[in-house]
Amino acid sequence: MFKKTRVRFIIIAVVVILAGYSLYWSIAYSTMSEAEKENLKEKGELEKYHDRILHLGLDLQGGIHLVLQMDIPKLVQNLASNKDDKFYDLVEQAQKISREKDTDFLQEFKNQVTEKNIKLARYMSDLGYKNENILNQLDQEAKDARSRALAVIRNRVNQFGVSEPIIQKQGEDRIIVQLAGIEDPQRARTLLQRTANLEFKLMKDPRVTQSLIESIDEYYKSGEGTKVDTAIAEGDTSEADSTVAVKEAQDTTVSVEDILGPQTDQDTAGADSTVVVDKELMKEKPFSSLLRSGREGIILVKKENKYLVDKMLNEEDVQDLFPYNSDFYWSPEPEPITLRSGTTEEFYKLYHLNKEADLKGTYITDAEASIGGGGTAAGQNIVNITLNNRGARELARLTGANVGERLAIVLDNSVYMAPSIRQKITGGRPYIEGFENMEQAKDIAIVLRAGALPAPVDIINERTVGPTLGQASVDIGVQLMLISFVIVIVFMVIYYKKSGLIADLALILNLIIVMAVLAYFNATLTLPGVAGLILTVGIAVDNNVLIFERIREELEKGKTVKSAIDSGYKSAFTAIWDANFTTIITSFILMQFGTGPVKGFAVTLLTGVIASFFTAIFVTRTIYNYMTEKKVKQTLSI
Amino acid sequence: MQFLKDTHIKFTGHSNKAITVSLAIILAGLVSLVFVRGLNYSIDFTGGTLNHVKFSREVEADEIREAFDNQGIEKRVVQGTSRPTEYFIRMPEYSREGGIAEQVEAALAAVDPDYEILSTKGVGPQIGEELRRNATLAIIGALVAIGLYISFRFKFYFALGAVAALVHDVLFTLGIFSFTQMEISISTIAAFLTIVGYSLNDTIVLYDRIRENMQSRKRYDIKDLIDESINQVLSRTIITSLTTLFVVVVLSFAFGEVKIFAYAMVIGVITGTFSSIYVAGPLLIAWQKKLKTS
Repeated sequence: MFKKTRVRFIIIAVVVILAGYSLYWSIAYSTMSEAEKENLKEKGELEKYHDRILHLGLDLQGGIHLVLQMDIPKLVQNLASNKDDKFYDLVEQAQKISREKDTDFLQEFKNQVTEKNIKLARYMSDLGYKNENILNQLDQEAKDARSRALAVIRNRVNQFGVSEPIIQKQGEDRIIVQLAGIEDPQRARTLLQRTANLEFKLMKDPRVTQSLIESIDEYYKSGEGTKVDTAIAEGDTSEADSTVAVKEAQDTTVSVEDILGPQTDQDTAGADSTVVVDKELMKEKPFSSLLRSGREGIILVKKENKYLVDKMLNEEDVQDLFPYNSDFYWSPEPEPITLRSGTTEEFYKLYHLNKEADLKGTYITDAEASIGGGGTAAGQNIVNITLNNRGARELARLTGANVGERLAIVLDNSVYMAPSIRQKITGGRPYIEGFENMEQAKDIAIVLRAGALPAPVDIINERTVGPTLGQASVDIGVQLMLISFVIVIVFMVIYYKKSGLIADLALILNLIIVMAVLAYFNATLTLPGVAGLILTVGIAVDNNVLIFERIREELEKGKTVKSAIDSGYKSAFTAIWDANFTTIITSFILMQFGTGPVKGFAVTLLTGVIASFFTAIFVTRTIYNYMTEKKVKQTLSI
Repeated sequence: MQFLKDTHIKFTGHSNKAITVSLAIILAGLVSLVFVRGLNYSIDFTGGTLNHVKFSREVEADEIREAFDNQGIEKRVVQGTSRPTEYFIRMPEYSREGGIAEQVEAALAAVDPDYEILSTKGVGPQIGEELRRNATLAIIGALVAIGLYISFRFKFYFALGAVAALVHDVLFTLGIFSFTQMEISISTIAAFLTIVGYSLNDTIVLYDRIRENMQSRKRYDIKDLIDESINQVLSRTIITSLTTLFVVVVLSFAFGEVKIFAYAMVIGVITGTFSSIYVAGPLLIAWQKKLKTS
């Protein structure tokens, strides 16, 4: 295979170029100054880098890793009333068994109930009369609680504003949260475990919003906010081509989940000002040029611009411009919105709302997605809401006084939707209509229930590393790696002379390839990962040692240089193969069973071993071939 | 440059003595493991909280203990580090409820208001159990997978020799960990598996040579053949062990889990080299005789 030396060199060159390209982003990123990073962030271009660089793990840059577990036993307890010792015993017993046997709690709970012949209706009459129905209902509640917890946690994590939050479901009942580079881990823990806060807030009159936006424009234009201003001027150029689409966009924002009622033609006064044609105008309106007008007074902000808009709004002097009892709130996640021009872009929605809650979420006793039965909602996807008596009274008062206004659903400071109030609602059973599909309706029902029925969540595992220790680890990791690397490299040259140099070259290439592969897969380098990398050095060297020792043996037998090299590689190969293959087996097992840190170690080791097949065998062989091809060598420096 | 050129050491001749010495150490380790000191499991397996705290001045461990006592937290282990301003404080429980976190903060502030928590690790009881299960599965899984692979690539009695050498290494390292009371954490388990892999490399290189020599000659004395094979790969074994040793010795200057990982590896590299020469090779003679007579 690949007999021709030239072909082999081309293959090597291709690999080196690919590796170099993959690493380019990481190098560019790590040499960037904080100011440059901030600038890119404001332009919304930093994400491009984030997707392509080798990330440092929490242990290296500081941060918090949490495993949250849904407390299903507690949920079951919360759903029960008239609890007696017998009931507590039941839950405790089921919990104990499920932990010991690593089985599902609810399953064990069911077994216990059947075994002990307990009538659940005594405790949970709301859920049904027969045990069977109640147990099914419990399953449903648990499932529900899981999605609520995930929705709540996702929303909160996104609000931390860390660059790459990780939220992962693990199994049925666990959620892994990773926040890198966070300064105050205590705050993160408290925030994640706090009960969800659901509120309803009236949307501000679009005219008020418009004049506020104008005064913010004035503020930035006057040069008082110079720092941010320059960034925008630069940001504009990059947006120049998208402005064409924006021009058409003014009434385009084709409804994604536009909500409730006939669309009023009452123009959001913002429409005119948000259409920006040229850069001059952008300089005229440094703030509003970043906004697009959506329907009904909702402002759209391109995903890339969210950071900058948020930063501009949070400027202290700008906050002073806000009218009494008003603030801006974001939608939890960006949504794709298709403009009339046919292009689809990701937008956040920005809402200008009352700062104080107009109605508390705790008044809600239930919310459920269903199909509307009559009136305008017949056959549509709707969410039925039930409020308690006090909530019903407040809602009646609120809706009576604000017909035609919009009432935003705000969970933990994110706005999920803002339906408009069509009429005074008495009786405490409102519904929301206008969902495109059942999924959307269900999502909103989950949000609405999150305030009323908190899903109990426990932190069961955490690793927190402060920024100081992180930096110290990076320094030490780099130092140790360099030292061990230099020792090995020098040793190889002393022991194997020129051949040692060839092996060293392969070694360096090996490290480059491993880093490049990790960066390509957007992997995270942890301290154990660095340990794996260092161990890779040992293994890669071993492959060359095996080969070189064989070549020496063959030379001693009196073979020519060329045939010694040939049979050296050939006979060393089976040993290399078997030895490395077993390392691959153990790496895989480590990856399978290991948790975070161990996995990092296994991944780098695995990549390193596989890359060493290429570097220690293919690359070094190519160099030998090149050396012996042109003229017959009498001696070999080995 | 070349060490160990053309050696003819009769390894199988004195392997009994060597194995006796190492068995004695393993036995002592096992006694310590089972009857005397046991193993020092980290909170990864027992559950609990571990805080790495840095104070702005040099602090005595007793000061910290007293401050924790005053807060009513009596179950705590205060352990110094190589730096007099930094301590590890370990508590047997991990809970965010009941204000324990606040109590800990109050205790630390009483020692020195300018304290900084460098890192926190918390493991709930469920996780501890799970990790123990997973770690045991990982080690058994690795041994089985390796045994299968070797039976497939070599012969069955080779696999027996290799696994015996691996068990030797793991027991030896465990014994040392029991003597020294170094912590068994998730990283240590990773180190054990790496040791298994590493020691296996040596064994496989040797077996590969033995197999090659068996195939290339028609008649041989198994003892001589094994001795010759060990001598042939000896140079490689020593060089690789040395370079790996360099690397892991350097690594042992790190801190935290990586340090313990490196210690385990230092022990593992030494015992791995030993076992491939004195356990894996000579055992083949015994197995082969048994298999031939039966």
